[in-house]
Amino acid sequence: MSAPNHGFLAGAADIARRLLRDRAAMVGFTLILLLVLAAIFAPWLATHPNDVYEIHTARRLTPPGAEHWMGTDRMGADIYSRLLFGARITILIAVIAVGTAVLVGVPIGLVAGYYRNWFSDLLMRLSDIFLAVPQIVLAIAIAQTLGPSIENVILALSATYWPFWARLVYAETRSIKNETFVEAAIALGASAPRVMILHILPNIASAIIVRTSIGMGATILTAAALGFLGLGAPPPTPEWGRTIAESREYLPEAWWYALAPGIAIFLVVMGFNLLGDGLRDILDPRIRRGGRGP
Amino acid sequence: MKRLELILSRLLWLVPTLIGLGVITFAISHVIPTDPVAILAGENATAEQIAALRTQLGFDRPLPVQLLAYFQDLLRGDMGVSLFSQQPIAEELATRLPATLELTFAAVLLASVLGIPLGVVSALRRNSAIDHALRIVTVSGLAIPSFWLAIQLQYLFAMQIGVAPLNGRIDGFGPEPVTGLMLLDSLLQWDWESFWGALRHIALPAITLALPAAATIARFTRAGVLEVVTSNYVLYERAMGLPGALVTWKYVLRNALISTVTQIGLIFGVLLSGAVVVEAVFDWPGLGAFAVISIIQSDHRAVMGFTLWAGAIFVIVNLIVDVLHTLIDPRSTR
Repeated sequence: MSAPNHGFLAGAADIARRLLRDRAAMVGFTLILLLVLAAIFAPWLATHPNDVYEIHTARRLTPPGAEHWMGTDRMGADIYSRLLFGARITILIAVIAVGTAVLVGVPIGLVAGYYRNWFSDLLMRLSDIFLAVPQIVLAIAIAQTLGPSIENVILALSATYWPFWARLVYAETRSIKNETFVEAAIALGASAPRVMILHILPNIASAIIVRTSIGMGATILTAAALGFLGLGAPPPTPEWGRTIAESREYLPEAWWYALAPGIAIFLVVMGFNLLGDGLRDILDPRIRRGGRGP
Repeated sequence: MKRLELILSRLLWLVPTLIGLGVITFAISHVIPTDPVAILAGENATAEQIAALRTQLGFDRPLPVQLLAYFQDLLRGDMGVSLFSQQPIAEELATRLPATLELTFAAVLLASVLGIPLGVVSALRRNSAIDHALRIVTVSGLAIPSFWLAIQLQYLFAMQIGVAPLNGRIDGFGPEPVTGLMLLDSLLQWDWESFWGALRHIALPAITLALPAAATIARFTRAGVLEVVTSNYVLYERAMGLPGALVTWKYVLRNALISTVTQIGLIFGVLLSGAVVVEAVFDWPGLGAFAVISIIQSDHRAVMGFTLWAGAIFVIVNLIVDVLHTLIDPRSTR
């Protein structure tokens, strides 16, 4: 007994084929792939892999050249090498923060959408309260309270982003709850968790996937902003947002300092947005292109 | 009457939302590792002095009592005193509101002027080279980190070319405050020097905020126009021989811009309460910069005040947007 789903594998192959034909989505996919490769192979790709923690005062603030492709920073460290290691932090934060937000938001949305009682009202009202302030405001407040570290940035981001998935899953569950196949499953005596996980979840998965891809981009932007404000990992960590903040003191002389990390953030966020757009067109044609936020 | 019902229910919902926000911000600001009293008392304070200050500020009472006291104060319009500036927080927020309001108006205006025509052109020339180019531009606009863009603009226009100041809102005192919006005030007093100064100061932060907003507006306009252009009634009007330009500007745009107007409203709400980082980079003396200063100084009362204020503004702006939406598009009342 499964929900109306024309074979999971066949569906996935069809989606992959259509994605391959979407040029913009492929550009996005390539950008994300490059980020992942940079993160995995950072120690081998880096020209000065030890510069992440070492200090070379003699060559501080060197402009880009043959030795330092993207110049050096205030500690004399190679910006290109630090950029590669920074990719690891970006992926770490985005994947864990969004993963947690999905793992918290989706069950809450499912339960609240499935039942119609005071508890589901309470859950949705709670998520509305979180959505009542811009995410960056709440994330800053939480991250500051907990103190600057990568873990706390992740915590702050997942605490502020779960309501987006809860709201989405709630609305989707409500609209699908009255479909015949769900009613049939309930009538046949399937337990509530079984109906939610085996019958409702597969049918709203595409909406969750689309929102997750775009949410990754938004989360990386917010995480970078937190790092920029000094709320991310403490100094020697090659976090992109923090590097940009450091560069401000050395302008206008060190024009190259903020260039590479800024472009890196931009390309990665664009990658997730492009992929999300492509996925949305294929998986969820009802939603229009456009919008900000996850 | 549906509309009145909507407004009333949303206004009623504002109260529990703000209470909930108050509880959340209160909870976050009380699990903090740093002790604001110790910071305030200074490095040389003895343990007795810190304890005395704690009692004086009421920080020694049980948390629920503190929370209740906070809400009682809020009901009287008293958000407490900023621990560091020693100014009432409500007053500080009120004096900073015009700066943020002016910046938001400027950014939203700029974003609309850029975004709407781009979206219309994109839709009317669908799949042309222009459409593809604009798509790349709008996708990029949403992906640029605003603080980085702010710094690059500062580098280029303030440090290299020198056409705009690095930061701040005005040189000197500015015009006599009437509305608090400097551009408007200087115009009202025919003070062209102040107007020019204010315009030069607001240009870079407004552009920074307007770019991603323009991208959003362009995308929604494009989608809206596309939907309407392919609808039956536009086909009918064309078939009746109405001139193309008339059809486009009169019949298409009015219906196509419904979702654009909603988006502009939502952007307005977000910028009014959430332009935190950009205000901080440009030292713009608004609400966002206040939030960053308060956060850096662990001024919890001020952070709570800002969060509540931002929440209230955001909820009210969204309510206004919803009401406007039912006015433009009667279908949405159902």
